[in-house]
Amino acid sequence: MKKILLLSLFSVSLLQWSCTDQCTETRKYKRYTSVSVSLADIRQGVRTESARDLINPGKIYTKGNYLFINELKEGLHVVDNSNPSAPKIISFIKIPGNGDMAVRGNILYADSYSDLVALDISNPLTIKEVGRENDVFTTGQFEGAWWGVNTLTGVINDQKMEIVTETVKTNCEGGGNGSWWGGVAFSAFDSRALQSSAPTSGSTANSQGQAGSMARFALYSNYLYTVGQNEMQLFDIRTPDKPRRSTKINVGRGIETIFPYKDKLFIGSTTGMFIYDNSNPERPEQLSVYQHAMSCDPVVVTDNRAYVTLRSGTTCNRGLNQLDVIDITDLRSPRLLKSYPMQNPHGLGVDFPNLFLCEGTHGLKSLNVANDFDVKQLQHLTGMDAYDVIPLSSKSLLMIGKDGFYQFDTSDPSNLRQLSKIPVKRVDI
Amino acid sequence: MKKLFLALLFTHALIYSFTLSAQHKPHYVNMTEVGGLFGRVVYDIPWSVPLSQQLENRLSLTIQTFNGVQLKPRLAVGLTTGLDWYNTALLTPIAAGVRYDLTRSKKDVALIGTLDAGYGFNWLHVNNTGYDTQGGMMLSPGIGLKFGFKSGSAMLLSLSYKRQEAKVTKPLGWGEIEKWEDRVYNRMALRFGFMF
Repeated sequence: MKKILLLSLFSVSLLQWSCTDQCTETRKYKRYTSVSVSLADIRQGVRTESARDLINPGKIYTKGNYLFINELKEGLHVVDNSNPSAPKIISFIKIPGNGDMAVRGNILYADSYSDLVALDISNPLTIKEVGRENDVFTTGQFEGAWWGVNTLTGVINDQKMEIVTETVKTNCEGGGNGSWWGGVAFSAFDSRALQSSAPTSGSTANSQGQAGSMARFALYSNYLYTVGQNEMQLFDIRTPDKPRRSTKINVGRGIETIFPYKDKLFIGSTTGMFIYDNSNPERPEQLSVYQHAMSCDPVVVTDNRAYVTLRSGTTCNRGLNQLDVIDITDLRSPRLLKSYPMQNPHGLGVDFPNLFLCEGTHGLKSLNVANDFDVKQLQHLTGMDAYDVIPLSSKSLLMIGKDGFYQFDTSDPSNLRQLSKIPVKRVDI
Repeated sequence: MKKLFLALLFTHALIYSFTLSAQHKPHYVNMTEVGGLFGRVVYDIPWSVPLSQQLENRLSLTIQTFNGVQLKPRLAVGLTTGLDWYNTALLTPIAAGVRYDLTRSKKDVALIGTLDAGYGFNWLHVNNTGYDTQGGMMLSPGIGLKFGFKSGSAMLLSLSYKRQEAKVTKPLGWGEIEKWEDRVYNRMALRFGFMF
């Protein structure tokens, strides 16, 4: 009896020695380290290579039977999509520092750090550089890492992004008032936040492709419009293979996207949406500004409605996650009709009356927006990552996420059918 | 939910197996206790170079009630439910519990051994914006003193060790992709209560 007593007393008291809460916080974050790249190397760097896997896909662009999927900072994957059920990567165009693209006719315009490059894509297996405008962009950003050009030394000062996992012992109070890391809040821009719109039917001469509304490149009339951090730079493309620097317009701060619709330009920034009249393509004029809370804000437009999403998260750091329906009948005074709460909206695309909305890690939503005041959710696909969509007039939907490139048949918007998937071969994220 | 179900199943199986061999007439028993969870924490001071650590003491309120069957004169089995107010987590442990008289004496005071094993749920916890607190496994062995009254009721004083796991996912700061905290609360529970 005594033995049991002693033994139990001993064991309980022994356990008391270890009465220390053990808490560890694990965080995965992006670490940026500086690297320098010489402009001379960049300008020699454009070439066509054999097809490779998707590693870190960015924006998507479609033209005819071809798809272009940006590999962040590396170049473009060329995909033969004549059969949407079996798309095939056929080649890779290496373009150092590339993030955006636009295609008209057989000419593809792409950015390469500070330069604008024109490429002849008539044969997608041997794509050639035909034109280049030097030093037109002074700064830019990939995944939160900024680069800047020093024209005097001919060097691009870039940052390399790595994903780091770090574990620290904490005081078990995270979730209370004193959090160690949560308070760091400043805004940056997420080049991977990609948005899209339905096709603007090809009213302009020469067939051109379709981009997402998050694209910083837009084609209209004889001009290529590109938006930088604060300004809009126009390029005269009357001679398609020799883009020429044209007007530069100061827009405002934190410009993220340009979305052309009819003869208007809708420019998304972190603080609002700018509407420009583009009836004189060489000199767009500002009509109005729609202000909203500071947030990431993709915009798509159809007829007299604009759909804007606000998102909180890594780079926007505001608590809002919502879809705004805006009446733009009077372009000089856009009016908010209603806001709908969302989970973490990224890109969106509209094919009236259907709206497709990417919810990041929460998947893809198919909504019916026929009634502005009663937007209905038709379907919510989960188990995939959704960043950007392009709805096509052929009732199909292109979607890119961190885990792959998807195509859906949208003939029944409440029951999207997956046609194909090109998986992403990536170790992390 | 699955874990709760398993815990209940385990308790029922235990009760059933003991009932079969019981000579003594089983009866309902309740032990309700209130007390404190004593512990400390050693943590890294963020951004300190060289890395230095800091110690803080911790005390949390705990209430718990054991409802079970006195299967044998010395053995009771049942379900232990409670509430533990950790600084940033309010957890509701649901556990299978055993109470055993370690001393056979007929005197008024008996030494008892206790064991509770189960899962701490976050049902009553309210998260700050952006945080998500999940409960975890709970294990608590201990000993106690039972001061019997003539009525058959008793006063309890117990000392036990409690291990409670939890996980918190946190809102992301700039450049962060994923952030969470794994917690293991190791505490000494000192409780006072009654049994009837």
